[in-house]
Amino acid sequence: MTRFTTTLLVWTLISPGSGGPAADTAWPTHTACRNEGLEVLYQSCDPLQDFGFSVDQCSKQLKPNLRIRLGIILREDIKELYLDISLISKGASVLNYSYPICEVDLPKFSFCGRKKGEQVYYAGPVNNPGFDIFKGEYQILLELYNEKRATVACANVTVICS
Amino acid sequence: MLSCSCTGPGMAPAVSCYFLVVLLSASCEVVTSSDQMCIEKKTNKIYNCENLDLSEVPDTLPNTTEFLEFSFNSLPTIQNTTFRRLINLIFLDLTRCQINWIHENAFQSHPQLSTLVLTGNPLIFVAETALSGPESLKHLFLTQTGLFSLEFIPAHNLKNLESLYLGGNYISSMKFPKDFPTRNLKVLDFQNNAIHYLSREDMDSLRATTNLSLNFNGNDIKGIEPGAFKSMVFQSLKFGGTVNLSVIFSGLHNSTIQSLWLGTFEDTEDQDLSSSMLEGLCEMSVESMNLQKHHFSDLSSATFQCFTHLQELDLTATHLQKLPSGLKDMHSLKKLVLNVNKFNQLCQINADSFPSLTHLYLKGNVIKLQLGAGCLEKLENLQTLDLSHNDIEASDCCNLQLKNLSHLQSLNLSYNEPLGLRNEAFKACPRLELLDLAFTHLHVNAPQGPFQNLHLLQVLNLSHCFLDTSNQHLLAGLENLRHLNLQGNHFQDGNIPKTNLFQMVGSLEILVLSSCDLFSIDREAFHGLGNIVHVDLSHNNLTSDSINALSQFKGTYLNLATNSIRIIPPHLLPTLSQQNIINLSHNPLDCTCSNVHFLTWYKENVQKLEDFKETRCAYPPSLQGVQLSDVTLSCGITAVSIFFLTVFLFLLAALLLYTVKFFLRWKYQHL
Repeated sequence: MTRFTTTLLVWTLISPGSGGPAADTAWPTHTACRNEGLEVLYQSCDPLQDFGFSVDQCSKQLKPNLRIRLGIILREDIKELYLDISLISKGASVLNYSYPICEVDLPKFSFCGRKKGEQVYYAGPVNNPGFDIFKGEYQILLELYNEKRATVACANVTVICS
Repeated sequence: MLSCSCTGPGMAPAVSCYFLVVLLSASCEVVTSSDQMCIEKKTNKIYNCENLDLSEVPDTLPNTTEFLEFSFNSLPTIQNTTFRRLINLIFLDLTRCQINWIHENAFQSHPQLSTLVLTGNPLIFVAETALSGPESLKHLFLTQTGLFSLEFIPAHNLKNLESLYLGGNYISSMKFPKDFPTRNLKVLDFQNNAIHYLSREDMDSLRATTNLSLNFNGNDIKGIEPGAFKSMVFQSLKFGGTVNLSVIFSGLHNSTIQSLWLGTFEDTEDQDLSSSMLEGLCEMSVESMNLQKHHFSDLSSATFQCFTHLQELDLTATHLQKLPSGLKDMHSLKKLVLNVNKFNQLCQINADSFPSLTHLYLKGNVIKLQLGAGCLEKLENLQTLDLSHNDIEASDCCNLQLKNLSHLQSLNLSYNEPLGLRNEAFKACPRLELLDLAFTHLHVNAPQGPFQNLHLLQVLNLSHCFLDTSNQHLLAGLENLRHLNLQGNHFQDGNIPKTNLFQMVGSLEILVLSSCDLFSIDREAFHGLGNIVHVDLSHNNLTSDSINALSQFKGTYLNLATNSIRIIPPHLLPTLSQQNIINLSHNPLDCTCSNVHFLTWYKENVQKLEDFKETRCAYPPSLQGVQLSDVTLSCGITAVSIFFLTVFLFLLAALLLYTVKFFLRWKYQHL
């Protein structure tokens, strides 16, 4: 084989993006809420699909037990469902947190146990603690996944507090 | 195919370097397979074609396909030609394929089809003979398919049906059509429908079934006709999220239920449970009951008056601060779950009321739990105790706390605050077979042996316990220990020395030492561990030198993933050869000729290697990231090379001879 073909082959093998799936389709950025100097934007980071999400009250003094609305198609069973939250501020990781939403011995929400392919619409409380949000811009990565570590939903959230 | 040059071993002197490179013209190859559309999970049998936007069965699928995952594609119409070629189908998942129509004889050529998943399809019509063909269709998923009535399902050829999933539809009556064969049903799922009333007639169609599991979660049942469930026997009944539980209890009169699930959820409106609401339980036979997330309005001994025949009770997250004392007649209770409640002290569960208890679960208590002293001493039959995730803290554990639990076999104290353990810390429970202390910081002063006298202990989980591993008596007394997990503990200088704590546990079969920051293992460190079948040394910084310590192991599962192994010299290969399965993934492996013996060995033993897709080269840069199995090195000397080498040496000799001759002549000429 000639040196040229070799180079070409090596290049196709290692050049980023060329061998993988076509350029990532970025989902549009949505507004989860905007009010009183607080703005919450999110974008789905699941390459397969977008989802709908909104928060009922939006204020710098975050109230406990917020009500949210969420609409999504499940691509996995959610007998077990976990949420990972990582908070990034000014490029530094501030907080990493993992929370079980559905477990076999404690299905906290009525949607626990739904099957792959089901469409879920949830409007209800999320059992969060209340706290004040300080001025600044925050990046939050939210990831929902099941017991097989298969992604159920993924969101890049930007919180702008002015 | 790809060929490239490869550096030879060692440093050759400058003169012959070029020559040597020519001689040792090594080549390596990379074989890349073209990407297939569907993922083959088992050759000729199992295929995954999810999310590919297919509108037909691809030609690449073999006729022999048995399991086909075809969800999230596009098949608006299914007719007898759609899957005709795949006559061996056993399992077919058509979740969210936008199916509107299933025409007559759609599965006529699939005699073996046993599971059909149609979840999330907007079905408009399913023909009468659509499901005829399969000789024994057992599982049918019609979840969220827009069903209004059970009449929609073609009953023809469903006589072998064992499970029927009808969740997320608009069904308001669970009355089956007359000719619907329900006799063999074991699972019937009506979750999230609009069933508000259960009549006698509805239930009559299910009287022929035995051991049925029936799920009404997410249907707000507002009424049950008296006698509807009379003398029926169920494996399990679920009424999760029902607001008024007294309706359920009075409706289930005279039924026999093995497992009754009456829990509620965070997002469901809830009515406080009063003693009078639970009275209906006296009129039925229930073995196991779940009441998760309910509130009790007037918790007293009267609340439990009808729980007398219950064997298992789950009160997870029921906001309990204490259980009433002096409960009578709870003698049958074998298993009690009190997870995620608000007990201050273990004594507040008033354990005396449950003398027959064999299993007690109290994990994830919302506030810090105090163990107290002897709070469980009346539970003489207790075999399993779970006290994990409770923020338990004790400077001297656990004899006083676990007093009198002489039959305890399984104890879980993982994810708690620091515990101080002294000699014979578990003397109170000498029959322990499993002890889980993972992620609980343990204070043990050397040379104390906290596990002494646990002669029956088989499984010990000490992962992330911040142990002093230099204490050689730590594991003293564990003569029957088979499974030891020491993940995330540290050894002095990152080294396991010759004399170490493993010498006390000669019967060990499974040893986990992953994420221990190990740099080296003495070659005699594991002497005396003759029964090992599974060693996990992953996520350390080990080099191939540590493989010496494994030379006495035979036929084991050996995990060396994510270490610093670069070159494995030939003398260590027999040690690897004698193991059963080896994982070498995520190591900075060398793919140059200096590692050729290992690379050759790898190719010959690829069937032994786990996770071989993640076993990749780190050197040379040209092969970085290439799977080891795709690399072929030829570092030997070929016939042509030998010819040239011979000619070279011959010429060199001639030159030397000539030089000597010339030199001698020159010398004699000048005499």
